[in-house]
Amino acid sequence: MSWKYKILVVDDEPDLERLMLQRMRRDIRAGLYKFVFAHNGLEALDRLKEEPDIDLVLSDINMPKMDGLTLIEQIPKVQPDIRSVIISAYGDMKNIRTAMNRGAFDFVTKPIDFDDLKLTISRTLQHLVEWREALESRDKLVALQNELGVASKIQQSILPTRFPDKPGCRMFANMKPARNVGGDFFDVIHLADGRIGIAIADVSDKGVPAALFMMSCRTLIKGAAIGKTDPGEVLHEVNQLLQEDNDAAMFVTVFYGVYDPDSRRFHYANGGHNSPLVVHADGSSAELPLTGGIALGLIPDLDYDNKSVTLAPGDLIVMYTDGVTEAFDEEGNQFGTQRLQEVFAGAEPTDVQAANRSVFEAVEKFAGDTPQSDDITCVTLLHGSDGG
Amino acid sequence: MEISTEREGTLLVARAGGRLDSINAREFDDALKSAISESDQVLIMDLEKVSYVSSAGLRVILLTAKNLQQRSAKLLICSLAEPIREVFEISGFDKIIPIHADLTAARASLG
Repeated sequence: MSWKYKILVVDDEPDLERLMLQRMRRDIRAGLYKFVFAHNGLEALDRLKEEPDIDLVLSDINMPKMDGLTLIEQIPKVQPDIRSVIISAYGDMKNIRTAMNRGAFDFVTKPIDFDDLKLTISRTLQHLVEWREALESRDKLVALQNELGVASKIQQSILPTRFPDKPGCRMFANMKPARNVGGDFFDVIHLADGRIGIAIADVSDKGVPAALFMMSCRTLIKGAAIGKTDPGEVLHEVNQLLQEDNDAAMFVTVFYGVYDPDSRRFHYANGGHNSPLVVHADGSSAELPLTGGIALGLIPDLDYDNKSVTLAPGDLIVMYTDGVTEAFDEEGNQFGTQRLQEVFAGAEPTDVQAANRSVFEAVEKFAGDTPQSDDITCVTLLHGSDGG
Repeated sequence: MEISTEREGTLLVARAGGRLDSINAREFDDALKSAISESDQVLIMDLEKVSYVSSAGLRVILLTAKNLQQRSAKLLICSLAEPIREVFEISGFDKIIPIHADLTAARASLG
């Protein structure tokens, strides 16, 4: 029997092996995944040496003989071209952070949500495939443009492609990368009690170092988001971790909000990012009040204030990066927030995807033949007026 | 990317023009580095003629501020056009680097 990807699962609990084979049986039968198992870090390293075709390691943290954090550190010595995902206790930020620092690509929390695990695995493998392709072509053509290609693939591989589509919360997001420049990303994080964490961000630079900075930023946001309920605290923590050893003074502007579809409350903090728009059912709109935060990654011990708004039925939140408002036309004019507001004027937003698309169309029409100089990203969230 | 500079003792005034974006950020950085000498205690960046600053441009400005700070020198910025002033405000950089209305005000702040 053949398979496309081989995954090594490392856990000292014997139940996981049975559960994994059972819950992943479709993918196993379809020849997508082959699972192999080890029960501690030492055993895992032996398997990696014996089976060099393993693509991904999924590892628990607490295990006898060698724990998961030590294992993560050892993996590159045995197999440099491999990705690992850590399984941790819910909200155990200290261990998650250590694992990330040691090179883990992502994490899932216990009790394992297998839908989430499947997504995480497929996203990690997609990243790995793109990384391998990029490395291959990099070997052939050592050129700046190529390096930017690597960066753009890393960027694409971290963006979510599925969005909440439930009564009370429908979302859509899209990013149109500029040629040779990559810096934007967004994320949608499913939190406890049906709340949804939404991040939109813009990293200050381009190329591989910026893409790696972006990756750690995205992972840190995800980690902080599930550990903390307060958006300002999430930004505080991410900033704290990013500014360590950041001699290159890279920075990232981040808007992070938590939406609770039950109370319709949108609670947010802003680290130097453009303020999103709230578009009302009558087509009028306003910018969310600024919270006065500084871009992340530069200065230690920053506090980020929170603000919140309660959405009325039919309200649409439009989050975007400066690629939208700072798009230029042929005469050198900027698109600006006013034109963005005009996109929505006079009509009730009813379709979150159409609303998103209309932003890109308006910017494209405005820019005409002027080359796009920055990534354009837009994330839309709608609380439908029909309650759905 | 061209910058012109004027030195008065330990004060350096640098004037830049055009766009500071990812395309010329490195050039801007190189131009600044070669203009600044170790004896400069204050750099005033006059950005009156600058029409656009992207995040890559901001990063160069910030790195310059950081480098100066390491040897106890400082950076001031002046004469920002309204859209650029907004870029500094939104990113929160106006809280990191002192911004003045014009060159006279920047000089006056030095006491």
